[in-house]
Amino acid sequence: MIKRLPYIFSLVLLVAAGWGVTRLFQPVGSAPAQAKLASVIPENPQGYERATGPRNFQFPQDYGPHPNFQTEWWYYTGNLNTASGRHFGYQLTFFRRALLPVQSVAKRSSDWATNQVYLAHFALTDVADGRFQSFEKLERGAAGLAGAQGTPSFKVWLEDWSVEQTGPTAYRLQASQNGLSIDFELTDLTGPVLQGDHGYSQKGPEPGNASYYFSQPRLATQGTIQVNNQNFSVTGLSWMDHEFSTSALSQGEVGWDWFGLQLSDGSELMVYDIRRSDGSIDPYSSGTWILPDASTHSLKQTDFTLQVEGTWHSPHSGATYPAKWKVSVPSLGISLKVTPYLADQENNLSFVYWEGAVQIVGTVGGVPVTGSGYVELTGYAGSIAGEF
Amino acid sequence: MNNSGLPPLLWMVGWRYLVRHPWQTVLMILGISLGVAVVVSINVANASAARAFELSTASLTGSATHEIVGGPQGLNDKLYAQLVDQGVVSQAAPVISQYITSPQLGSQPLQLLGIDPFADAPFRSYLGVNGALSVSQLIAFLTRPGAVFISTDLAQRYHLSTGDTIQVAVNGNTENAIIAGLLQPSDSLSQHTLDGVILADISTAQELTNHVGKLDRIDLTLPKDASAQIKTIEAHLPAGVSLVPIQSQESPVEQMTAAFHLNLTALSLLALLVGLFLIYNTMTFSIVQRRSLFGTLRCLGVTRREIFWLVSAEALVVGSLGALLGIGLGIILAQSTVRMVTQTINDLFFTTTVRDVGIPISSLVEGGVLGVVATLATALPPAREAASVPPQAALTRSVLESKAHRNVTRTALGGLAVIGAGTGVLLFPTNNLIVGFAGTFAVVTGFALLASFVMVALMLAAQPVTGGLFGTLGRMAPRNLTASLSRTSVAVAALMVAVAVTIGVNLMVGSFRYTVIAWLNESLQGDIYISVPGFSATTATTAIDPAELQAIEHWPGVARADLLNEVMINSPQGPIQVDSTNNPDVGAERLFLAREQSPQATWQALQAGSVLVSEPLANRLGIPRRGGSIELVTPQGARSFPVVGIFYDYSSSQGMVVMSLDEYRQIWNDNRITAISLRLAPGAQVDQVTRSLQDGMAKLGFSQNLLIRPNRVLRQDVLAIFDRTFAITGALNVLTTIIAFIGVLSSLLLLQLEKQHEVGILRAIGMTVRELWGLTMLETGLMGLAAGLLSMPTGYALSLILIYIINRRSFNWTLQMAIQPGSFAQALLIAVIAALLAGIYPAYKLGKMAAADAIRFE
Repeated sequence: MIKRLPYIFSLVLLVAAGWGVTRLFQPVGSAPAQAKLASVIPENPQGYERATGPRNFQFPQDYGPHPNFQTEWWYYTGNLNTASGRHFGYQLTFFRRALLPVQSVAKRSSDWATNQVYLAHFALTDVADGRFQSFEKLERGAAGLAGAQGTPSFKVWLEDWSVEQTGPTAYRLQASQNGLSIDFELTDLTGPVLQGDHGYSQKGPEPGNASYYFSQPRLATQGTIQVNNQNFSVTGLSWMDHEFSTSALSQGEVGWDWFGLQLSDGSELMVYDIRRSDGSIDPYSSGTWILPDASTHSLKQTDFTLQVEGTWHSPHSGATYPAKWKVSVPSLGISLKVTPYLADQENNLSFVYWEGAVQIVGTVGGVPVTGSGYVELTGYAGSIAGEF
Repeated sequence: MNNSGLPPLLWMVGWRYLVRHPWQTVLMILGISLGVAVVVSINVANASAARAFELSTASLTGSATHEIVGGPQGLNDKLYAQLVDQGVVSQAAPVISQYITSPQLGSQPLQLLGIDPFADAPFRSYLGVNGALSVSQLIAFLTRPGAVFISTDLAQRYHLSTGDTIQVAVNGNTENAIIAGLLQPSDSLSQHTLDGVILADISTAQELTNHVGKLDRIDLTLPKDASAQIKTIEAHLPAGVSLVPIQSQESPVEQMTAAFHLNLTALSLLALLVGLFLIYNTMTFSIVQRRSLFGTLRCLGVTRREIFWLVSAEALVVGSLGALLGIGLGIILAQSTVRMVTQTINDLFFTTTVRDVGIPISSLVEGGVLGVVATLATALPPAREAASVPPQAALTRSVLESKAHRNVTRTALGGLAVIGAGTGVLLFPTNNLIVGFAGTFAVVTGFALLASFVMVALMLAAQPVTGGLFGTLGRMAPRNLTASLSRTSVAVAALMVAVAVTIGVNLMVGSFRYTVIAWLNESLQGDIYISVPGFSATTATTAIDPAELQAIEHWPGVARADLLNEVMINSPQGPIQVDSTNNPDVGAERLFLAREQSPQATWQALQAGSVLVSEPLANRLGIPRRGGSIELVTPQGARSFPVVGIFYDYSSSQGMVVMSLDEYRQIWNDNRITAISLRLAPGAQVDQVTRSLQDGMAKLGFSQNLLIRPNRVLRQDVLAIFDRTFAITGALNVLTTIIAFIGVLSSLLLLQLEKQHEVGILRAIGMTVRELWGLTMLETGLMGLAAGLLSMPTGYALSLILIYIINRRSFNWTLQMAIQPGSFAQALLIAVIAALLAGIYPAYKLGKMAAADAIRFE
């Protein structure tokens, strides 16, 4: 998974397709692909800052970029409805990757010189039309073309895809591509929620194999979606994840299944399983239950189960993904049926993964709840991803 | 040929003839091959130049359909982010393109191409190769100062590898660059393109070229019908920045060189034309020689059709052999022509970074086919002649001659008619060069048709003179020539055309040179000229370091420094060269074609916003002699400038605008200076001040290397470029004369050999070898004289056409005719000497022959 596991991005980059040098933010994928890439790309976390323990977060600065860390991302997903109930899901993600540690960067006089590269993904799920479209852009973090800032107000952008703070808790999110465009006002209802141990999210036993991770899990969203010159006024909820780290590869991990679920009772559940090549679940898999008052319950791998109840075979990549789950947290009395709004929400971009809007029906403490959320599945089309 | 049903025996007739007359065959083949060689070599040179341009510039625009270009200082690089971040453009790529040299890369001009790897892929995908570069090389490309990529070929040629440091000279400054990786071109197109390219990230290119904050252009790919999108983009562009389709960007360069290429092609066709005279002559002769044979064949029942095919087949064989040999010779000649043409194009038009594009096969095939077709077409009249004579007439040799005699007047009248028609075509008001050349060919051909008439007239006039001088032999020579008019007149015509071309081209080049010298005298009023060394010989568009400029202005001995800024400014008609100067005497220091005011008032008008334009620009854009104006794109938008004078100028066939420096700076906010002209205080020595400036600039630690030249040296340099430009013309001229020489040689040889038995009789009745030499030389000398005399009016007419019509139409400028009597005398001398030389071998051969052998035929 691109999202929660920083070390994925330790395999860099770049540059644009067709320039003959397409090596986007490469996912780990299968073991052979990993070995192949590892041989070309010297993994060198030396010189970068690393996540080694809980951090004293400072907002609003920490909304912005942390260039001393090698990788960072801002991840927006959301489920929206028109007044008549037409459902849309969207994803707008910005990844940052440092090419060199800050102290190794030579002094340059051109504004275009940079050691930062940004990658963004934009996807829209149109349930009524049964259509999913996704796009990708890559830019240097310089010359005003892409970047992020925490102060005076938060902003992250890559060309004309952007999220910009417009008030103390208000943001404007915009993206458009090939006749699709979204333009939303987001209002943060909870403030930043720190994941893991006060924002310190450990991914493996090695020291420093961890990230800093916080979310804005409840962003009231309203705005416009344009599809083929047709405008839809929509409202709903978005979720933002912000994570930064410098990490080495962990052995034996093939991918992950991540769930960000927003429930009708005002609570959110975030859980993920890291899958190992031997078929087991990594003990560092974890989760958080966020109550309506934004207080949190940390969940260990043993606290929850993600039971697969159906699969979908992708005609694009040939991968077979889980496509229906039963998510259970017995200690909290949570039992949820999670179903994709659309089976085909596979991102066939520089790396292949499934990131899609899901529908939720179930119970929390015996009380029926419904809801929507996003699920991310990686490492299923690994062998193909490795060929990019 | 099989369907013509030629009996095999008849083939033998043709074959035996060619074998039995090896000299004749060899000369024919040589004539054709030289003609073809000249056409092929020029064709190859033109095609190579076009290809080099395409690869140097055009192909680097890649798949872009439009581009955004700015004023003289390029674009502000913030514009790109604004357009992209607002979603105004979706497929766009910023580009920096500057010419540089590197001592480690052969000191040849190379294109430093600054691109954005994140945006460039859709435009120039061929620049990269999948997976060939490691991620660490890419990281270095983006983050390491001075990091560049070059092609593996280029690296190998200069023994460089990844990690090596090279010096690059940009705009007179030297910077260090480091080779961060090698590009392995995926096909031959990218191979040739990359051969002249150093690739860098935009950031690195900005730093290496001292263009921080600037872009040279933004490439765009817009869909076919994008008028709405174009409007949107234009609304987001600041004033002075324009969106232009790629096509209109290219065409001025194509226009510029098209005339140059066409002129060369025409000259090469002239060489082929002379070659064709030779073929015609030889074919006719071979028919004449075999008239009795053909007569016999006809008597034996061979049909006219078969005779026709026989002669045509011979021509085909000879033509094909000649064309093949010509292609081979052409390839050898092309080594020189390509170099000369490329040099001229670099001097005058644009910088090519591509060398050795290979020989375009199509050029070879074209030249070869042209040679064969032309040979066949030329052989057609003799073939028909051979087929048409009735059997009994064919046996009498004199029929053809009497026919030729009857035709003298008719041919001459025809010639006059063709000259008239050609003149009519030339006077037809059009700028089409092809029409111009068609008219020229008609006039020259018309003059050639006068050859037989001139021969007859000259021989009539010469007979008493030569008779008085040399007695019987003196009377015999002119009569002999008149008697064999059908062959001698063609040889004379061929020699005449070749010599006329020499006269015409010499007069044109001489007049051009004279005009340029007069223009230099008027325009170069300064004592010392200073600019930044560049790749173009005729323009100076690189800014001089302001600190250096200041030092120069206050240098001891300098009384006055006139400053010049030369830039390319966009206009609705494409980019136009604009020279702005603070020289108040500019109104007096030019030769004016039209001027509305006194020199003093002209300067005042310039200060008030009027401009001067050069003649080529006025002609190109149709600016009237008085009351015209010209539109230029300024940072405030398009603006019309009144034109108060049109001056002669020969530095650019595209033309230029001259305006006041103050006015230019106010409008374009560009304080750069690209050239300085110094006038020295009374008593200061030009050479001394020049040397002290050259030494002083280095001592003061200025890094920019300046070209500091005294007036005299600049003048020499300009004339050297001029002579270099016409080197190829001179070379073609010599080749044409050689072909004509071979023509005369072959026709004389045939003529003399044919007279073997006649000579035998003469020798038998007591003619000495010495007298035989005298007769032969007299005959050939008279032929040379006839050719030389006729070539004078022809050459003069040709020079008039070249100067007043072809040059005017090709380059938009007027040359002053300067008659050099020497050219005429020289041409006459060439004609006579060529003819005399051509007579040596036949005279020698006939003299060696024993009288008995010579008359054995009887």
